[in-house]
Amino acid sequence: MKYRREASLIVLVGALSFLATLFDASFVPANAIDILINSIPTMIISCGVMLVIITGEIDISVGSLLGLLAATLALLSSTAEPGLGIHPYLAIAIVLTVGTLIGLGTGCLVVYGRVPSIIATLGLLIALDGAQDWLMGGGDIKHFPQELRYLGTGTTIPINLILTILVVAGTGLLCHKTALGRRIYAVGSNPSAARLAGISVTTTKLFVFALTGMLTAIAAILWVAKLGNVSTSTGAGLELKVVTCVVVGGVSIRGGRGRILGVVLAVILITMIRTVLNFMDLGSEAVKWQRAIEGVMILVAVTSDHFTQRNQPGGKS
Amino acid sequence: MKKFAYEFFLLGLICVVLAIAAFLDPLFLSSDVQIELSSEIWELGLLTLGMTLIIITAGIDLSVGSAMGLCSVSLGLCMHANLPTGVCVLACLATGLAAGALNGSLVAFIKVHPLLVTLATYGMYRGFAEGLQSATTNAPVDASEGIKALVTGNFPLIQILFTALTAWTAILLGRTATGRGLYAIGHNEEAARFSGIPIAKLKFWIYTYTGLLAGLAAISYSARRSATAEAGLVLELDVIAAVVIGGTSIYGGRGRIAGTLLGVLLIHETRQFVDWYWQRSELTLIVIGTLLILAVLGHRFLFAQDPDTH
Amino acid sequence: MNKWFSSIGLFVACLLVIGCGGRESDRGDGTPENSNDDKITIALLPKLKGIAYFTSCAEGAQQAADELDNVELIYNGPTTASADKQAQMIDKWRLQGVDVIAVAANDPAVLSESLKKAQDAGITVITWDADAQAEDRSFFVNQATAEAIGSGMVDTMANDLGGPDAAGDVAIISATATAANQNEWMKHMKTRLASYPNLNLVATKFPGEDQNAAFQDSQDLIKKYPNLKGIFGISSVSFPGAAEAVKQAGKTGEILVTGLSTPNDMQPYVKGGEVKTVVLWNTQDLGYLTVYAAAAIRSGELKQGATEFTAGRLGKKLISGDQIMLGDILLFTKENIDQFDF
Repeated sequence: MKYRREASLIVLVGALSFLATLFDASFVPANAIDILINSIPTMIISCGVMLVIITGEIDISVGSLLGLLAATLALLSSTAEPGLGIHPYLAIAIVLTVGTLIGLGTGCLVVYGRVPSIIATLGLLIALDGAQDWLMGGGDIKHFPQELRYLGTGTTIPINLILTILVVAGTGLLCHKTALGRRIYAVGSNPSAARLAGISVTTTKLFVFALTGMLTAIAAILWVAKLGNVSTSTGAGLELKVVTCVVVGGVSIRGGRGRILGVVLAVILITMIRTVLNFMDLGSEAVKWQRAIEGVMILVAVTSDHFTQRNQPGGKS
Repeated sequence: MKKFAYEFFLLGLICVVLAIAAFLDPLFLSSDVQIELSSEIWELGLLTLGMTLIIITAGIDLSVGSAMGLCSVSLGLCMHANLPTGVCVLACLATGLAAGALNGSLVAFIKVHPLLVTLATYGMYRGFAEGLQSATTNAPVDASEGIKALVTGNFPLIQILFTALTAWTAILLGRTATGRGLYAIGHNEEAARFSGIPIAKLKFWIYTYTGLLAGLAAISYSARRSATAEAGLVLELDVIAAVVIGGTSIYGGRGRIAGTLLGVLLIHETRQFVDWYWQRSELTLIVIGTLLILAVLGHRFLFAQDPDTH
Repeated sequence: MNKWFSSIGLFVACLLVIGCGGRESDRGDGTPENSNDDKITIALLPKLKGIAYFTSCAEGAQQAADELDNVELIYNGPTTASADKQAQMIDKWRLQGVDVIAVAANDPAVLSESLKKAQDAGITVITWDADAQAEDRSFFVNQATAEAIGSGMVDTMANDLGGPDAAGDVAIISATATAANQNEWMKHMKTRLASYPNLNLVATKFPGEDQNAAFQDSQDLIKKYPNLKGIFGISSVSFPGAAEAVKQAGKTGEILVTGLSTPNDMQPYVKGGEVKTVVLWNTQDLGYLTVYAAAAIRSGELKQGATEFTAGRLGKKLISGDQIMLGDILLFTKENIDQFDF
């Protein structure tokens, strides 16, 4: 069954919603949109990281990169000290460029430097985190111009949500409908065959890393627009959440397999766990175990279909 | 000589760091300072022993730091209940074994990719450590005299154990059939299976061993500071970085304990000196991240015999 | 061989370039080994670097160090609120032979061993902002006890909600479940809440250092508890997160948020009306007083048993036992917040 993973994710999302509805009858109508909006940064970055993982590489620097880009945007556009107060559109353009360039640089390290991607991006994860703290210096940055905040808080039309849907749809089209998409899958499932077929493995990998950098920049912009505050802890730990979502969504960590629909469902599932737990009456003792409960749920999600599929031939992760 | 060329390169880099240190601040190199600062190296060293084995089989364990936190909390609970030192130690090691065995059985028997398993247990073990601590003692527990004596007493058990375990792991890896089996798994798992190597058993064993090491590291940490859920926070990054800087290939099949030890030393000395001299926590992060990438680049361009691209 | 030398050369060059850059941009980060004997080197350790609260403390500390010409100030701290990292720094400062270590303790138990060793090595250890175990330091520069902070926040909230008869649900958004300072404050907040029988604590959340989670938790609480009247955001991440959630839920004025923050940091939300009152003390003065006290204790001017102490522009400060009192808690509201700049 082709859509087995997607089906089981839908069942899980449904089960969690049902569980929450037992505690609060209006859970779904009251929270559906907010859960989607809260999932935006993870969702957008997951699109890029999914492509990277499909090519057989990985990118775990996105959390620190988001933090660094958010700090850059904050310093450029904030209207109060220590911000420079330049026009938000110019600042957005700069951040998009910087994000794409850093992504491209990561790609070059992997492709030309032949540094394994998990190591290259681990190094960047540590170094960019330091760079973010260095750049931020004193403390949180607030006071963003209204044009920027409008992207995250425009009340009648959620612009950030529309942008996210565009990104997801674009990634879906790229994956499943274009020649470039087929090349991305080919590179991941069998690089030497792809090379023989005349596909440039180098260019394809550079493209997915650069795209991930750009998507991280978009996520950083929407993050700042939504929360209106950048601190030194912005983005910390996001890379693990993103990788978790991508693999729970059915993308093979060995490359070559995975669909956008599964990833979208996994992002929604993992974002809603927190809200569902918040709506259940956990009590003052149980709430201390919230992080452990989340961890168990993720372990179950990651391993579940290995228990059901393990005896089937060719059932690799 | 040729075989250990990369190890000599690492030794050279360590000398460079020390030379810069000697030039900028000779006090850093005095034996008092070096001995004092070395108290932080044991936990890192212990964990890298297991991590080297795991990475040689092309696996990874992101959960070591979290497992260490969980072990530390269980040690704290036992000390809080005034149990005898032996029981505390056993409980701590048993927690580590259990954490490692859970990783190991999911990786070896259920055949889930180790990155996924340990990514999940990374959050889970830390969550349990924090939950357990805040639901019971609600504060770190000071190490009992018995535990302190194990680490800082006249008979520094952790240091002696570390030396013994290093020797044992090196011999295991370099001189035994088990070691050859681990390299074979990392090099080509299919081929290893056909040559009759007990893949599942070996994999289960190395993750469990790493869990046990996390228990030992937790004892060392708790004796120095106190038993707390914070133990081992972000330590997994340093552990993986040290192993990889030590010349172990993340794709598996290549690596030696000697290199790992030098990797630990290089990371340790670099981190300590940058912290020591420039007094900027964020600079240390930048330097360590850059060092990791440069070391792997250096390995690629200076010593690449096998183009083991994926 | 050539390759080796060139790569090692490159590595050295990198380190030196980074190093020189770092040294130049340091403000007041003198290294102690250059200090003359009559100079007092003071190492000031915050709970963490990079938040406005401690940065403004550091500014005040630097002013004091500039006024006292025999003081050299080192300011460094961990990038997250980690007691372990603090202990590592204390160990290094002890080995470098600084004269005074002034600590804002993340966790008394974890730091105890390092502080004892520092005292044994002849270093004057004082605490500021958050105390360590009493035997591990000589003086505590006390801006407010955990009890004063906890009950201060509750009283402020109750006052803003209508005084002693304030009624409604309130919630706390903390940091991680194991954050020592926050747990201490919460203990006193719960005690204090008992004296307001109509204020009902409905939930406590632990979003960690994650901005997005803090926002999400606040948003969920607002929806789950329709009678919610107040949120305590008691970390530097959860305070703005909760205020932003209230603002975006359109509940400005209906749900009040309070917590600890510098006036500059929360000024947009005080102006906006999500936050009526911010509780704090003058953080610059706190850093300033800490450095003055450190220098005086080291040089022997200030001894155990003294009852007051003159600290530069702050004038006389009271000492009670081994605690140097900073004095008043400040309340920042829409009316007065523009008068403060820190």
